[in-house]
Amino acid sequence: MRALPGLRALPLLLLGLLAAGRAGRADGETSVSPFTSLPIREETTTKHFNSSLETPNISLTVRSSVPVEKNITLERPSNIELTCQFITSGNVNSVNVTWKKGNKQLENIHTNATGSILYTQYMFIITDSKQMGSYSCFLEEEKEQRGTFNFKVPEVQGKNKPLITYVGDSVVLICKCQHCSSLNWTWYSNNGSAQVPIDVQMNDKYEIKGTNANETRLKITHLSEDNKGSYWCRAAFPLGESEQRVELVVLSYLVPLKPFLGIAAEVVIVVAVILLYETHTQKKKKLTDDGKEFEQIEQLKSDDSNGIENNAPRHRKNESVSQ
Amino acid sequence: MAHRAEPPDGGWGWMVVLSAFFQSALVFGVLRSFGVFFVELVAAFEEQAARVSWIASIGIAVQQFGSPVGSALSTKYGPRPVVMAGGILAASGMLLASLATTLTHLYLSIGLLSGSGWALTFTPTLACLSRYFSRRRSLATGLALTGVGLSSFAFAPLFQWLVSLYAWRGALLLVSALSLHLVACGALLRPLSLMEDPVVGGPGAQLTSLLHHGPFLRYTVALTLINTGYFIPYVHLIAHLQDLDWDPLSAAFLVSVVAISDLVGRVASGWLGDAVPGPVARLLMLWTTLTGVSLALLPVAHTPTALMALAVAYGFTSGALTPVAFSVLPELVGTGRIYCGLGLVQMVESIGGLLGAPLSGYLRDVTGNYTASFVVAGSFLLAGSGILMTLPHFCSLASTSKPQDRIREAVETKVSLSKEEPEED
Repeated sequence: MRALPGLRALPLLLLGLLAAGRAGRADGETSVSPFTSLPIREETTTKHFNSSLETPNISLTVRSSVPVEKNITLERPSNIELTCQFITSGNVNSVNVTWKKGNKQLENIHTNATGSILYTQYMFIITDSKQMGSYSCFLEEEKEQRGTFNFKVPEVQGKNKPLITYVGDSVVLICKCQHCSSLNWTWYSNNGSAQVPIDVQMNDKYEIKGTNANETRLKITHLSEDNKGSYWCRAAFPLGESEQRVELVVLSYLVPLKPFLGIAAEVVIVVAVILLYETHTQKKKKLTDDGKEFEQIEQLKSDDSNGIENNAPRHRKNESVSQ
Repeated sequence: MAHRAEPPDGGWGWMVVLSAFFQSALVFGVLRSFGVFFVELVAAFEEQAARVSWIASIGIAVQQFGSPVGSALSTKYGPRPVVMAGGILAASGMLLASLATTLTHLYLSIGLLSGSGWALTFTPTLACLSRYFSRRRSLATGLALTGVGLSSFAFAPLFQWLVSLYAWRGALLLVSALSLHLVACGALLRPLSLMEDPVVGGPGAQLTSLLHHGPFLRYTVALTLINTGYFIPYVHLIAHLQDLDWDPLSAAFLVSVVAISDLVGRVASGWLGDAVPGPVARLLMLWTTLTGVSLALLPVAHTPTALMALAVAYGFTSGALTPVAFSVLPELVGTGRIYCGLGLVQMVESIGGLLGAPLSGYLRDVTGNYTASFVVAGSFLLAGSGILMTLPHFCSLASTSKPQDRIREAVETKVSLSKEEPEED
């Protein structure tokens, strides 16, 4: 089959999904289940099942007429086995089970029943992006019961907040992908409304480094104001692409400099006010002191004839005058 | 200006309190909130966390070891020019840091330059404050030191907001502008001449006389021991709570409660220090002992209420000992020698501060939990308070020493020193 070459690096996913299925998460979900991304156990499980052809078992349990959904991330072509488990009211023979992708009805379905529980299975191989999307199982009784499997490529995480930098500085834009293996990354900048791929060979202003397969780094040096705007990192998987936007803001150094100068001016004014106030009060004090001293000298001249003990106060006054 | 017999105890002194309040905020508040820049710098320079945290460590170390320099210069030229110069240095350090392209630039600009600026501001200001007050000294010091606690609340969100607007470079530039207010604080430090100033002489003479002063040396040892135990809970309380399976939100709430009780303790102890007659050293011993006891009991508490109560007690008592610790010194060495005295004390006690946290971390690694480190911290505090009992006039009911006593003591020390050395200072 055409899928065989794609299967050579086999399905960490499948096994992870198997493990996830074992964990019993599928049972008992009557609301939209949380995003089931490829589990972190994929690294360890790969070692065991290196190139076996085991298929993962992704299952859903539908209890009432509330539709149940499961999201699955998939990177590369794999064998898939989807199982829906319906709980019927009574007669299992008079029910009709169908699988659909969009409007197209699917073949290759196996159904069996035990008691009032109906199992239906659809096995297929995902080879390219056209086969990603939503697959649904339907049970037609009085009310229709439905389960949906959504296949998506892994999401790429960038940074939510804009990155602020300055002219002449350099910056590193990072995009990460959890639970992914080695990928092809490309970076795009925006030129007006269109995305323009960034050419690394053109000049050494741009440099793309990736320390490990899960992340990519775009280093931009010698920033100028035209470098601001949106940048996209795009990850190419065998089964599709996903991208994320990172926003860059380039400020000129004048932007924080203006508040700085404002505050510095305010400090200078405050210092001037304090020092001026002090010289003003000292002048006032000196005037009154001089006035007092004049009176005291006059008094001393009249007291001088009385005795020697007036030497001490005069001594101290001389000290204060000289200072 | 006439030499005053007594410190003014008010008047312009309250402006000095204001200046000291803003200074503690601008020096220690900035240092404590530096963690906001930490994350940004690690990402920007692509360096390890340990290497980036050296920036703050160098800054603190330079501030503490440089304290005697600030003190000596203040004795010679008065606090005002020294503090204003320090403010300009601190602001220039931050300004240059905003232009940094490597981590070494940051070590030199923030660590060395701003650190020297901070060394020239903090100690001279507190010493100046001690000279302006005698009856209300503890209250004034307590009020001034609340600046540290309040600024930690205010600056962390402020810095975060600045970083979100201007990135770390612009934010550092604006923190530099903020630090320029240290110059304004320095302008408020009007010089004051007290009667004992001409007697105690220049900085060289003062340092020599201090090193021969028995009670001063004992006090320095006591403070070093206290400092070793003092900082440990700040560093390890949250980790200890996590070990006890507290969730992060409750742990953060408890730390905030401790910070508030620390603030209350500072002001209450300041007021109490002035209201109670007798040497302030007795109150210091009381608070230190209580802090040591609450620290040592901390590992024993397991229920949330007991932990909360002990943590509040620790916050209150540790806050209470700070203003009193600064007030004891003028009583010991006199307000004439306060600049040099405070500088020396800060330098020596910083050794305790630097050793305390790593020692506690080591104990934790060896024993597996924080019991040993809290108990050791408590015992350091109790040892320090024990040495405090050997200070003079400890058991007497006499009020704080009068200026004439201090002058007499200073003259006696100078005379005995000049007998030993042939040359005059």
